[in-house]
Amino acid sequence: MPNSSTSAVAAVTTTPSPDVRARVLRGIRLGMPIFLGYLPVGMAFGVLARTLGFTVLQSVICSATALAGAGQFIALNIMKTGASVFAVLAATTVVNLRYVLFAATLSPHLRKTPLPLQAVLAYSLTDETFAINMADQRAGTSTDASMVGVGLISLIGWVTGTLVGATLSGFIGDPTSWGLDFAMPAMFAALLIALAENRRQALIGGVAGAFALALPLLEASGITLGTGWIIIISSMVAATIGAVTDR
Amino acid sequence: MSSNYIWAAIVGMWVANFAIRFIPVAVVSRMDLPEPVMRWLRYVPVSVMGSLIALEVLRPGGEYQAPWNGAHLPAALVSMATYYYTKSFMGASVAGVVAFIVLRGFIG
Repeated sequence: MPNSSTSAVAAVTTTPSPDVRARVLRGIRLGMPIFLGYLPVGMAFGVLARTLGFTVLQSVICSATALAGAGQFIALNIMKTGASVFAVLAATTVVNLRYVLFAATLSPHLRKTPLPLQAVLAYSLTDETFAINMADQRAGTSTDASMVGVGLISLIGWVTGTLVGATLSGFIGDPTSWGLDFAMPAMFAALLIALAENRRQALIGGVAGAFALALPLLEASGITLGTGWIIIISSMVAATIGAVTDR
Repeated sequence: MSSNYIWAAIVGMWVANFAIRFIPVAVVSRMDLPEPVMRWLRYVPVSVMGSLIALEVLRPGGEYQAPWNGAHLPAALVSMATYYYTKSFMGASVAGVVAFIVLRGFIG
């Protein structure tokens, strides 16, 4: 582990050179599965947004600026009820609070990164880009440029999917019924293997999953937690167990 | 749904989603985190993935699903095995989707 983290830091601090383009391209290749996964889900968002009264332009701009998967779907659901804009923002923020965790986890690797580039990388931070970049970081091959590539191809996938879905809305049914959206869980499953450096890490991943599955049971005692909170609470509890038992 | 309402939500989501991603990066990357916090952060990625995959596979669509009662779990295992042996995210994603669509044909 010390080896991989040292080399990761070295890679990040290397000054830009003619092979920046090669690194961005490497990131784009690395992010291709995200692109494939985002296409059908982005299409589903486009279809749904149109049926709720968004124009094609509004659907596409929403995806391009928010880049927030589940957060966008939740927002649509709440807008459908005619809730205030503030309520919409509160819901999408809660669903995406885990980005705070991601950002904090990624930060030690971005110490030498200039602020504008940090902004670019933060903009493209999602479940999938975070996991791919962390796995790449652990392999010691991640650079700022490769992370830009991963973010770029993900954004293109999400926006392209939304454009296609919003344009063809009315001609196609629910794109998630085709089964292609399983690309996301399939990627999470592979990423779990990639991120587990050792048996303890794998075990903590399992503990987190068990908590995530148990938390909805609290509904019986009148505590209803949205998916956003469930993911945050189970992750923080499991990470704490991991850190405390790691001596 | 009025056009103004939609635009206000879009702009608000843009600001909110960017702020919760960027502010922690900008602040934390300029701090020296103590060792216990770093150790904690090392367990965050695997914990988040564990939570996400458990919910996607065993509680798809917000309803509990027995592991033997759908294509989700076996397809996820196919994806894990493919990654383990090939180290390819692309291969693992494609294998998982194909397994999901094929298995869904048999067990729904």
